[in-house]
Amino acid sequence: MQLKRQKAGALRAALGLLTANLLVATAHAQAPETVPISHSSTTDSDEDYESGSDLNSGRTRIDSAVLFYQEAGGRVRAIEPVISATLNGSGGEVLNLRVTSDTLTGATPNGATPSRLTQTFVTPASTGASGRNASSNSESGSTIRQYKVAPHVLPVDDSFQDQRWAADIAYSAPWGEQARVSVGGGFSTEHDYTSYVGNVGLSHDFNQHNTTLAAGLNLEYDQSKPFGGTPTPFTSMSGTAKGGDKTKSVVGAVFGVTQVINRGWLAQLNYSIGQTNGYQNDPYRIISVINPTTGDPSRYLYEGRPDRRLRQSIYLDNKIALGPTTTDFSARAYHDSWGIDSITLEASERLQLGQQFFIEPGLRYYSQTAADFFHDYLLSSQALPTFASSDSRLDRFHAMTESIKLGFKSSPTTEWYVALQDYRQSGSSHRAGAPGALATENLFGGAKATSVLFGVSFAFW
Amino acid sequence: MKNSTLSHRAQLAPRAVAICVASLTVLGGCVAVQPWDRDLLAKQSMQLNPHPNVLAANEHIYFSKEGSSGGRTSDGGGCGCN
Repeated sequence: MQLKRQKAGALRAALGLLTANLLVATAHAQAPETVPISHSSTTDSDEDYESGSDLNSGRTRIDSAVLFYQEAGGRVRAIEPVISATLNGSGGEVLNLRVTSDTLTGATPNGATPSRLTQTFVTPASTGASGRNASSNSESGSTIRQYKVAPHVLPVDDSFQDQRWAADIAYSAPWGEQARVSVGGGFSTEHDYTSYVGNVGLSHDFNQHNTTLAAGLNLEYDQSKPFGGTPTPFTSMSGTAKGGDKTKSVVGAVFGVTQVINRGWLAQLNYSIGQTNGYQNDPYRIISVINPTTGDPSRYLYEGRPDRRLRQSIYLDNKIALGPTTTDFSARAYHDSWGIDSITLEASERLQLGQQFFIEPGLRYYSQTAADFFHDYLLSSQALPTFASSDSRLDRFHAMTESIKLGFKSSPTTEWYVALQDYRQSGSSHRAGAPGALATENLFGGAKATSVLFGVSFAFW
Repeated sequence: MKNSTLSHRAQLAPRAVAICVASLTVLGGCVAVQPWDRDLLAKQSMQLNPHPNVLAANEHIYFSKEGSSGGRTSDGGGCGCN
């Protein structure tokens, strides 16, 4: 019941935001333009759309969108409206404010392996409403909820629901003729998680503004406040009260160079590094301990991850304009101290269709290795490791994204856009050496998701 | 063995960046596009982030479903989804 009310409320909020945007954008589109369009005489088919840098030329720009996200198999569903306002000062100052809401419902893997047997799990009742496989249990004043998972099914807790609110602010201003400074901050809150972010940045132009060097520092402080408390790693799954809140901090830096290669080619190269210290476990996630002969689960333990993680990445992006098309190709190489190495390749081709439309198909390929402490399961015959997690995000897998973005410019300062995306992870489903009945179970818990985002951006003076 | 490999990789990354930065800077020194030749570079589609809401949504999805993050900007997610 609570779930239905929340879903309906989120949908109403999303539709309300869309309607408000529609009204404002329509009214604005019908208003007489007070600034002449200086490039109306051009013959290039995409100039009327693109020259708009009109979209950025107003003193204020509103950009809002709603994301609808759905994972296959009844897993996570999200509705995320976002609205941002950008105010441009006469001296080159830029102030950006953004508010995001995120409503999440559905089912999420709890970390256990599938089994030939029906499995029963317990979790704090306040993680959500009863799901289709759940049954309430009134132990300890109804703080415990019990749910069952059918044989050969990836165990998921289908009571997952959360509401996140986030607000960000960013300000940048020129510093002399060649440099620019920026400061920003953000706040995000969920029922069981709070995050604070702050950052500063400096960029400097060289070589007649053809080269820009930039550096930024990012600080983050997070509080994890799990329902039912924080479990001690490798203790047995239970619904009883556990430990207190946990925190983590992140210190990150990015160094980049943006280079005009020639008249129609822009390149950016970044190196980023970030150190995370503190609690990085998923407090609700368990890992199965398996009988080495039968392959059946004997018990379930809470996961445990290292409390330090150093991430590094190199990112290269290229933008190339050729006729009515713009090609975007980017690549990222990533490495962290947990043992994950990944490669990300992304390409899109934006094609101008007349003066009001564009279409932009895109592809993204992602591949990562597993974290050193990733295990699908533990064996009851072996000693417990120092760290272990069965989180599929720490597993070895590949992912492909197929996307298409469409844009429509209804006036020189108003753009409507839609982005559709299909995302599929693939990995090894049957592991060599899996004992007994587990050998025939699909152990890969990767996600498949479809999303669509509707947005409108308009500027006024 | 594993640790030494990781350490070696960690040392390689800054070197690779230094080489790339030096290459681009040298290349940039050879080509100077004048302000009056920047019509293509001024196009909306040539902005590094022409649709911030689309990029933010994608980054949020990938951050919550994959083991890697960062690259375009500094590391950090700001939510409990990962």
